[in-house]
Amino acid sequence: MNPEPFLQIDRVIHEKGRLAIMSLLAASPQLSFTEMRDTLNMTDGNITAHVRTLHEAGYVAVTKAFHDSRPVTTYALTAAGRKAFTTYIDLLEQIVRQTRPQ
Amino acid sequence: MESDWAAEHLQVIRTLMERSAIYRRALAPIMMVTGSLGVLGAAVGLLAGIGAGRDFVVFWMAVCLGAVLVAFVLARRQALKDREPFWSPPTRRVTQALLPPLFAGLVLGLWAALVGWGEVGVVVLPIWIMLYGCAIHAAGFFMPRGMKLFGWAMIVVATALLLPALFRIEVGAAALRYVAHGAMGFAFGVLHLLYGVYLYFTENRKNAP
Repeated sequence: MNPEPFLQIDRVIHEKGRLAIMSLLAASPQLSFTEMRDTLNMTDGNITAHVRTLHEAGYVAVTKAFHDSRPVTTYALTAAGRKAFTTYIDLLEQIVRQTRPQ
Repeated sequence: MESDWAAEHLQVIRTLMERSAIYRRALAPIMMVTGSLGVLGAAVGLLAGIGAGRDFVVFWMAVCLGAVLVAFVLARRQALKDREPFWSPPTRRVTQALLPPLFAGLVLGLWAALVGWGEVGVVVLPIWIMLYGCAIHAAGFFMPRGMKLFGWAMIVVATALLLPALFRIEVGAAALRYVAHGAMGFAFGVLHLLYGVYLYFTENRKNAP
């Protein structure tokens, strides 16, 4: 078996919580903090920590704005984030194909 | 097996991406208020003696407009309460799905109201319900909890209303008025109320105003 796909897996995305965040953002142009928290049933602290890691990796853009005088934080995938996510899925598919019985 | 975790990851990604595209506002209050307006509309239509012609069309278009405005206000209140933008991507998808059949219904209603359709104005009734069912079914692709089934229920009711014409069953003018308002009250009132009650006991109420 070719170990190459395993070695290429992006460790930033591979973590369960961050993968969930990336998956949500891949299907939506942007999501608010509340939407993300409610969909994933994660704690505020968890979301914040994972988003910070993804933001530092350049995968997620964070926008803070005011909506009707209330602070709203929204998240979106950056171009680099989308590319990394697509590559990650391609690698998973390669792994599944490699090990699937012919 | 080595590939199991990879396949599971892909499945999780797929599920989450689908969930991300789903409209999540609480629908129970919207359905119940809309249903109440439908039942109230039917009662007022019958008590006020509104006939089955042009008056019928104009009256029910006004009721529908009221229901749309109330639904808009309720959904916006929920968005404000959750500190989320109202015009979110799922809201846009649902609106885009609803729009073509609802627009067709509006054009049909305006045409019937402006051109006049005499006592056969009531013909718009099954077509309206059918178009509404199509709109709900289309929106159901971006909404949870049996919305598509609800759309089908509307289409079935509309089909049932076409049967008397198919078998050439004559209905008198007075009876027609009762049938017309009764059908609208049942489709837009009772069905919405029933679905609203179902949602009230089953959906997550954190979004309720």
